[in-house]
Amino acid sequence: MDLFLQFLTNGLVVGAFYALSALGLTLIFGLMRVVNFAHGEIYMLGGVTGWFFTSALGLNFFAALALVIVSMAVLGWLVDRFLIERVRDQGEEAGILLTIGLSIFLANLTLLVVGPAPMKVVGPLTEGPVFLGPVVLTKLRIVAVAIGIILIVGANLLIRKTRLGQAMRATFQDPMAARLAGIRTDHIYACTFALGCTLAATAGMLLASIYSAQASIGGLVSLKSFVVVILGGMGSFPGAVVGGLLLGVAEAMWGGYVATGMVDIIGFALVIVILLFRPQGLFATRVERA
Amino acid sequence: MKLSAFGCLTGLVVLLSAPALAEDEIKIGLIEPLTGSVAYNGNSVVEGAKLAIGEVNAAGGVLGKPIKLVIEDGQCQPANSVNAVEKLVQKDKVALLVGAFCSSATAAIMPVAQRYKIPLITAVSSKADLTEQNNPYFFRAAETDALMARAFAKILATSLKLTNVAYIGVNDDWGRGGVEEFSHDLSDLGVKKAMVDYFDHGSTDFFTLLAKLRVAKPDGVFVAAETQDGSILVKQIREMGIDTKVFGVGSWATADFIKLTGDAAEGIYAAVPYASSMDAPRNQAFVKKYQDAYKIKPGKYGAAGYNALQIAAAAIARAGNVDPEAIREALHKTRYEAPNGIYQFDAKGQAYGFEAVLVRLQGGEPKVVASSPVDAPH
Amino acid sequence: MHFERNVLLAMLAAAVLLPLVVADQYLLHLAVMALFYVILASSLNLVVGYVGEFSLGHTAFLGVGAYTAALLSNRLGLPMWATIPLAGVTAVVFGCAIGAITLRLQGPYFVIITLAFSEVLRIIAGNWVAFTNGPMGLAGISQGGIGDKRGFYYVVLALAALSLYLCYRFVYSNIGRGAVSVRENRYVAQSIGVNPFGLALRAFVLGAFLAGLAGGFYAHYISFVGPEVFNFAFTASMIIMVLMGGKGTLIGPILGAVIVTVLEERLRQTQELRLTLFGLIVILVVLFLPRGIVSLMRPRREQRGEIGRMVPVKEGAT
Repeated sequence: MDLFLQFLTNGLVVGAFYALSALGLTLIFGLMRVVNFAHGEIYMLGGVTGWFFTSALGLNFFAALALVIVSMAVLGWLVDRFLIERVRDQGEEAGILLTIGLSIFLANLTLLVVGPAPMKVVGPLTEGPVFLGPVVLTKLRIVAVAIGIILIVGANLLIRKTRLGQAMRATFQDPMAARLAGIRTDHIYACTFALGCTLAATAGMLLASIYSAQASIGGLVSLKSFVVVILGGMGSFPGAVVGGLLLGVAEAMWGGYVATGMVDIIGFALVIVILLFRPQGLFATRVERA
Repeated sequence: MKLSAFGCLTGLVVLLSAPALAEDEIKIGLIEPLTGSVAYNGNSVVEGAKLAIGEVNAAGGVLGKPIKLVIEDGQCQPANSVNAVEKLVQKDKVALLVGAFCSSATAAIMPVAQRYKIPLITAVSSKADLTEQNNPYFFRAAETDALMARAFAKILATSLKLTNVAYIGVNDDWGRGGVEEFSHDLSDLGVKKAMVDYFDHGSTDFFTLLAKLRVAKPDGVFVAAETQDGSILVKQIREMGIDTKVFGVGSWATADFIKLTGDAAEGIYAAVPYASSMDAPRNQAFVKKYQDAYKIKPGKYGAAGYNALQIAAAAIARAGNVDPEAIREALHKTRYEAPNGIYQFDAKGQAYGFEAVLVRLQGGEPKVVASSPVDAPH
Repeated sequence: MHFERNVLLAMLAAAVLLPLVVADQYLLHLAVMALFYVILASSLNLVVGYVGEFSLGHTAFLGVGAYTAALLSNRLGLPMWATIPLAGVTAVVFGCAIGAITLRLQGPYFVIITLAFSEVLRIIAGNWVAFTNGPMGLAGISQGGIGDKRGFYYVVLALAALSLYLCYRFVYSNIGRGAVSVRENRYVAQSIGVNPFGLALRAFVLGAFLAGLAGGFYAHYISFVGPEVFNFAFTASMIIMVLMGGKGTLIGPILGAVIVTVLEERLRQTQELRLTLFGLIVILVVLFLPRGIVSLMRPRREQRGEIGRMVPVKEGAT
């Protein structure tokens, strides 16, 4: 029973991390209908710039985090204004290709600049085990989960309660009508993309302080985030949370009781099953069938 | 890496402009992973190799000519390494090959080297069956998992007083091989297997694996992992509050690993064929030269590159010319004095006679706890 | 149609004559790899260009073909002329199975589910030690007694010619035209009785067959097959070749394959730089040259053809 609880806890913690990582992706798809294949690279850049700000510039964690948020928001805004804007009316395929190219470009440019080695991001406090009965956690993980929850709730509030969020949802519903109502849709698109990138980068830096920052993890993060978003439904916040937790727990259980070596297969198996029987995911509002 | 790219391009230009066979330098091809997840260690091999060649050329080169190192990125992938060998042999016309780091990549290029009849030395690949392939052109200037296990199982069992050991390895041929060899030898000495598990290379979260480890309550953990995975794993072992003795094979005594792992590296044992703190005077000279050149102490991979190239250069000198058959026979007569002992090759091309050490990481330095000669396999 | 056929025949003639002029083994090796990629790029082009969907999992069929040929050759000792066709057939079986599941979906869902399948295969290949030898891979695959690169060159040339012939026949058949109509407008095509799913499946399976053939050849040529044949790197290369050359055309993938193979070798030393450039090229192609290099070759012709066929409206007609 102890072992089961430990696996469950591990799964929930890692699942929360997955959910946080996937938020930006589901947001961008839900509001802009753009599948951002460069999502993992943005996450990675969050970690790498976080390392830069904490190690090279010696800032403390939260100051560095603030800087990361600002710089990645700017990057996201620029990417949307100058790249995605041009292909917005060409259908989904162009966006997919563009972001695939962007992901290859960003990943390898970063590799050229910082090299392939993992880098340490200094965390907000020193690491140490925390014992809750038979279950072991660590301080940093608990803090990260807490920050993650704050982010998820905050982003949700932003979308639902603020004027900017309203403008975003209006633009998504009907771009022409939104323009008629006086909303500057190109500006809104850029802000949305920037928000999605910020969420991804924040997740990246947060998790880099627990594990490490590395230029080559983008691909795996993208894949896992896609699994989460498909499970939960593209564009759904609660979906991303549930999808993330589901993936985390499934991986932990499989890894614990069957074999640690083939853990990644669980995510893909889940994706295939969901796409066969409920392609819109558990929570989504749109259906995309043949 | 940029320098070697430039050097390679220059070499190509020189070749293209002077297609005649008579050359004023001797080329040795070096295939290592310069990109990808073991690039860390691959680059160390290249550094050691360059140091060796620098020394040889400073002393007048070989057969009156300087040696040129032509470096290719094999990425530890069989297909890329094969491509690299094709280029090195066909285009650069190298006299000798060194590579390719990962045992699977080396296994892929061995038949190619044999087909082209060019001698191939590997400085790192440790899978035991490579020397069982009846390939007369293949030489291994390194230990195998089997030899390390045999050298250290007894020492580990007695000095660490192990009765129940958990085995964790990276899920590839090297990790599996290491776990199998060590668990086999330790079990022969009566040590029980608490658990055996593998993880995927590139994993970042080992908590599920470690949960199983905690429950198994071993008094020792054997880990076969390289720098990246190994450092994360060890850190998480300590994060989880697991205090068991940890010993491993791989790049554990290198400065990179110690830096990455930080405090969690304290007290870890490693069975390595080389450590910068080994006592011989030859080693101290080598460590100083390496530090002067690269500002970091040499580890297993730097030494491997250095040794392999020294052996190669010496063989060419002994052969008296660049004929591959002559070089091959000269390699068999090798008796090279390395920083970590004396290297000789047996009939199958396996090196023996050098020292391997068990180190304990203390205060960020690998302190030698025991040493054992790597005997010829029987 | 004639333009494409003539260009293809001209390329074939040039390719046949190549080894008579070039004897350098390294250049021949490059030529072999280029032709190998021609087959792969053409096979992906069938899915991307003629079905109109984006498969990121196409390397699954390359991998299946490679492993089939390797296993048949190593375990059963079958010769090359048997293993390569069987590799293609096995890939067809997988293509039917995977296609039947994935082609129900479109857009990003199709992209991800195809990627999921190829990742699953990669993980299985890397872990099923008893069957595929896991991460150690299958080594020492027979080279069919071919010592000279020229032999391999003619084998791969024959395979490439076969592939392009099959593609050509497919595209200019009713099936092919139907597939194009689905690509252009799915709903209109359905309204005239075209069955999108069936057509898509046929294109997909043919693509799988060709990729399987290429995989079988790869196994014998490189003489080593490991789980890395399922890596994303192959897919990325294929995508760039098809995109850069021009998707939806027959010549485009050939051009893309040759250019990318040469670029890969020239930039071999600097892998990360090469890939950075590739990413940049993809972005630029999507932004500025969405129809690929082929579109540079004959925009005038198409325009002229269109205008020439337009019938002028007579004065006073309603």
